[in-house]
Amino acid sequence: MRIWMRIWAIATNTLREAIRNKLLYTLLFFSVAVIGTAVLIASLSYVEGARIIQDLGLSAIRLFGVGIAVFVGIGLIHGEVERRTVYTILSKPVSRTHFLLGKFLGLALTVWLQLVLMSIAFAGVVLLSGGTLGFGHAAALFLVGMELMLIVAVATLFSAFTTPMLAALFTLGVYALGHLSRELYHLGQQADVASVTWVATWVYRLVPDLETFNKTIEAAHGMPISAVEVGLSTLYAVGYTTALLFAASYIFRHRDMK
Amino acid sequence: MAARIISLVAFVAVVLGTGAIHARIPPTTAVDGGEAFVPDPALARVLSLGFNSLAADYYWLQAVQAIGGDTVITAELADHLGKLIDVVTTLDPWVDHPYRFAAVWLIESEQNVRTANRLLERGIAHHPEEWRNHFYLGFNQFYYLMENEEAAEELLEASRLPGSPAYLGRLVARLRSETADIDVSEVFLRELVRGTQDEASRAGYEAALDEIEIEKKARHLDRARKQFETLHGRDIMNVRELVEGPLAVVHELPNPEPESLPRSLGRGSVWELDFETDTIVSTYYGDRYRLHFAPWERAKAIEWARQRRAREQVQPREGNLE
Repeated sequence: MRIWMRIWAIATNTLREAIRNKLLYTLLFFSVAVIGTAVLIASLSYVEGARIIQDLGLSAIRLFGVGIAVFVGIGLIHGEVERRTVYTILSKPVSRTHFLLGKFLGLALTVWLQLVLMSIAFAGVVLLSGGTLGFGHAAALFLVGMELMLIVAVATLFSAFTTPMLAALFTLGVYALGHLSRELYHLGQQADVASVTWVATWVYRLVPDLETFNKTIEAAHGMPISAVEVGLSTLYAVGYTTALLFAASYIFRHRDMK
Repeated sequence: MAARIISLVAFVAVVLGTGAIHARIPPTTAVDGGEAFVPDPALARVLSLGFNSLAADYYWLQAVQAIGGDTVITAELADHLGKLIDVVTTLDPWVDHPYRFAAVWLIESEQNVRTANRLLERGIAHHPEEWRNHFYLGFNQFYYLMENEEAAEELLEASRLPGSPAYLGRLVARLRSETADIDVSEVFLRELVRGTQDEASRAGYEAALDEIEIEKKARHLDRARKQFETLHGRDIMNVRELVEGPLAVVHELPNPEPESLPRSLGRGSVWELDFETDTIVSTYYGDRYRLHFAPWERAKAIEWARQRRAREQVQPREGNLE
């Protein structure tokens, strides 16, 4: 119980620190601005305006959510090491693993908080423009939250052993690959060379399958999203995040911080 | 103080200079060039990195902007639109209107129409309950490709779907009875006018309906002419003979201009006997309607059919050589 209290203390501290970050507000401002201008962009089309508003809104939430997760997340551990505050924290009865988990949880709470704010803006714009919202939108936004949690875990893993710049590049690389992995898998299955098929299959298995969290099209078209699908995707996100945090914890425990 | 003034003047000069330079850059977009790059649909799907719907919207808006308010589109623009809609419907195959948008605008060549039909088939696969995609496909097959049996099959499918109008069944019968004519065109066109949200295409369909209206009136006069010949043993010398004098066979001549045309815009058209074609025509059009919006479209459909037959004749021969 005391361990969780320590992790929670670091998490809330991280949340407070992240909330003071000006970059966070800049990204939040632009995301809300893009969601708002969706109405103007949709007016360029004489049909399906409501769907275009929802497409743009959900895409902006995903794009800026990842931006916040990556660019706010990567500097958190590095900042503690730079300012040498990490030594003060670790001199207390807090292990490196607890510190890392606290940092992860704090950042996850930050991105979820931003997600809630962006979702409120999205819902407002959709409802004011005469659109409707349903379970599909809630499910799609929930899965965006799961995807962001996983991306935060990836950022935490990379920031555990490298510089913020490299961590940002690696995390964005994983994000891109995560959305490409299904396409690569399908291309690999069509290849004549067995080794290509094998590599494509393993890339698909190892890299996070981020397309599983992408329900923008289904939500915007009002198509059904099954609870089983949401449940499996959630379990996948939790499992993958846990595995990444295990790896990050191992690396951070063995990192020479002198 | 002087330094401040110099700084302020320099700032204003830079701002004005930049504005002047910007004013010299033409505000064209990729679409204005007519040759905007449209990626291969599969590549677009990969490059969109999960933002498929966003990319689909982008290309859809490009398609809408490409049409703008123009009612005349070139073959190049039609090809460009075909590529755009292909990308849109690959990135987000659950879109609804773009399939029918393609059907409305891809009519400049047989290849265009075939592309539109392929896209409509994709639309049918993703919206199996949407009767309008079957309807547009049937229209293309009947109107542009003169494939009445295939058109009848599509309309039969459409008639079985929820929300489809009751007259589709009768339309199928007409198509299969080998008497497909202006009545079939009229039914198709009335539905297209009702269903289209695009002003330019609606205007095209309404213009075609006006022609059908005049053609129906002309056919009424044809019947009166025959009656006149039967009763009096000779043909009319002019159209007025049908209503004037002791030999009149009809009470009055119908309006030679479309009823939708406001009186103030009337051209003073009359019915006259065209001695070249030996038909009664309204001077409003100067010609009789021949199923299609305009004579060139009829010629186009016939030419496509001829090319198709030629290809079909060559292909079996090539098959025999193998």
